[in-house]
Amino acid sequence: MTFLKQTIALTGAGLRSIGERRGSSFVTLISVTAAVGVLTSLLAIREGANIFNGDNARSDVVDVISRGATSTPQSVVTRDTLSVIESAPGVKRSPDGKPYVAASTFVSVDAIKKNGKTGNVYLVGFSPGAALVQSNVRIIEGRQYRPGLHEVTVSEPIRKMYRNMNIGDHLVLLRTEWTIVGVFAGNDSIGDSVLRADADAVMSAFNRTTFQAAQVQLESPSAFGKFKDALTSNPAVSVEVRTLSQSMKDNFGQLTSLLNFVAYFVGTVMAVGAVFGALNSLYASVDARRREIATLRAIGFSGGPIVVSVLIEGMLLSLPGAFLGALVAWALFNGNVVDVSGLIFKLTVTPHLLQISILWALAIGLIGGSFPALRASGLPVATALRAS
Amino acid sequence: MKYLPLAWAGIWRKRSRAVLLLLQIASAFLLFGLLQGLNSGIKQAIARAHVDRLYVGSSVSLGVPIPMGLLPQIRDVPGVKLVTPLIQFPSSYQKPSQAIPLNGVDPEAFFGIFPDYVVPPAQVRALKNDRSGIILGAIPARRYGLKIGDRLPLQTQQPKRDGSTAWSFNIVGIFDVPSQPNGAGAGIVNYDLLNEARLADRDTTLLFIALADSPEHAPAVSAAIDKAFANSSHETRTQSEGDLISSQIQRIADIDLIVGGIIGAVFFALLLATGALMMQSVRERVPELAVLKTFGFSDRLVMVLILLEAVLFCVFSAAIGLGLASIVLSLARTLIGITSMPINVIVSGLIYALVLAIAGSSVPAWRGLKLQVAEALAER
Repeated sequence: MTFLKQTIALTGAGLRSIGERRGSSFVTLISVTAAVGVLTSLLAIREGANIFNGDNARSDVVDVISRGATSTPQSVVTRDTLSVIESAPGVKRSPDGKPYVAASTFVSVDAIKKNGKTGNVYLVGFSPGAALVQSNVRIIEGRQYRPGLHEVTVSEPIRKMYRNMNIGDHLVLLRTEWTIVGVFAGNDSIGDSVLRADADAVMSAFNRTTFQAAQVQLESPSAFGKFKDALTSNPAVSVEVRTLSQSMKDNFGQLTSLLNFVAYFVGTVMAVGAVFGALNSLYASVDARRREIATLRAIGFSGGPIVVSVLIEGMLLSLPGAFLGALVAWALFNGNVVDVSGLIFKLTVTPHLLQISILWALAIGLIGGSFPALRASGLPVATALRAS
Repeated sequence: MKYLPLAWAGIWRKRSRAVLLLLQIASAFLLFGLLQGLNSGIKQAIARAHVDRLYVGSSVSLGVPIPMGLLPQIRDVPGVKLVTPLIQFPSSYQKPSQAIPLNGVDPEAFFGIFPDYVVPPAQVRALKNDRSGIILGAIPARRYGLKIGDRLPLQTQQPKRDGSTAWSFNIVGIFDVPSQPNGAGAGIVNYDLLNEARLADRDTTLLFIALADSPEHAPAVSAAIDKAFANSSHETRTQSEGDLISSQIQRIADIDLIVGGIIGAVFFALLLATGALMMQSVRERVPELAVLKTFGFSDRLVMVLILLEAVLFCVFSAAIGLGLASIVLSLARTLIGITSMPINVIVSGLIYALVLAIAGSSVPAWRGLKLQVAEALAER
């Protein structure tokens, strides 16, 4: 009980004296804010890219690519292979017998961003089955592309980010003119980073005879084994079957871990800087109260409460920085659209990120308070009292 | 100059505080050095690029295959000395992690365009005469203990027409790239071999690489190539090596913006930190400054002393941070391919430190200038 009382009394005294050290306390607050703000902003990029990590991917959808290909661009799926896939067991079928299989072919297209820089987007041609498998993709403006015609639909982020991507605009690729006829939304995978069109139109415009990948909806998630075995044991085809979440991990895992590394590396170096700032401020706090602390020690306060009170002061000093930093990141970046390597996503500052910023701020305060706390508790009473 | 020791002593008056601020500034400049170092390393690579090497790709985007049929026409464009197709097959040795990317090219033209890929001419001729030959990069050759004359089995990601992904090559040569520490990681093989066996995109190439007869002619040659295919069904876009690198980098992310934002936040926090601590330090030393003035130090000299102290301290701390950054960058050299810390980053870092010091200490220095001896000593 005394421990608690002493701690409260000491913490109160420390906090009241913050006003006298306005300068250094403010500096600590700003350093923590800057460190946490940068960390949160960078993590917000990763959080946005998390839509690619496959955790929310539908479990009844699988990706089929050619064997050995590590990602879709290197894959080749012929029409023969596609018909084997379509007739494989476990594939969901519509009442009139159409298989839920969406084959696709990708073309990388250079486009000019609104800021004048060059970026690239993917023009993806989908076979008619896409309407079944990706029923969550819906047209929010304009209309759907028509099969066989050079018509495309764009995602909302692409329309926002690039020039000449509005309904009615034309895109000339290899002398073929493509018309933008609609805007779509609602895809849960890499959907927002692409222009959608009909596969036959894309393949004829780019002299292609093969698809690159097929997305298959199964009767149920448990049909995966049956479907996979049927395809992998068939000598006529050479394909790899992966769940959607696995294929997204394979395709984008590196990107997410790179973003993580950059965010935490930069965040750590900045946090280290903020720790030194906090150390300075708390040393000043302890120094200013040398005689006071020594007096308390002399009248029987023990070292424990002194240590704890300085640590609490450190954490209270840095905690507002966590909220401020997260707030700044949220105000500046939340909802902004960025693209990394042609993948488009929204920066999102989530409650999870606020948790991380609070943790970092507390850690900064704790480490920043530790050495000053030890100094305070170890003050030789006699010398401290004699000091001016 | 004679006041340097005085300013230096002033810095270390409160040792622990100075050390902590030093570490704070040093860590900020460590970050500055790393980020800017990376950033300008990339820019250096662009500047070092050979302007006479022209990359001819589809006007749609790099990566959209273009027909091999364009080769004779490109070769006939005046000013083109050499031209090779280039197709790339990701492939691996015994395990998927042992990547050896394959570049399918016209061997003689390729090694003519890239003289920095060092290989004896006899080995290039050997590759030309052995369709299933490979000139292997020195790095995989060393790592997997492979030498000339060995058979090299590889797995590619793209299937062959018969559905298999297994290939076998005769090692007829080893190349090294002395100018780039990790440049020699690939295998150079005959375009024809890869092309005939592959299932998709037959008789196309990812791009053509052409060598202009002089760097000065390169822009004209580049324009002439694109003009030759304008309004055809295979329009091309020809970029110099530097343009190619910068457009590839731009695709990855807007690095300038990210680096600028981070450094802005770091320096804002740092400016406040140094400013506040300088203020505090001057406040504590008011009596000492008054004594200096009593000794006959002029108002201006006292102000200069305070500024000098801040400048010395900031530049010293920044130099430590930048030094650390150079060490880290040189350790990571093999990972990121930047040979050394660009000197302009060091210089601009020190200039930032100077600005930081002057901005942070201007208020305290003003106080020093205005200090009234009688009042200051009376406070005692």
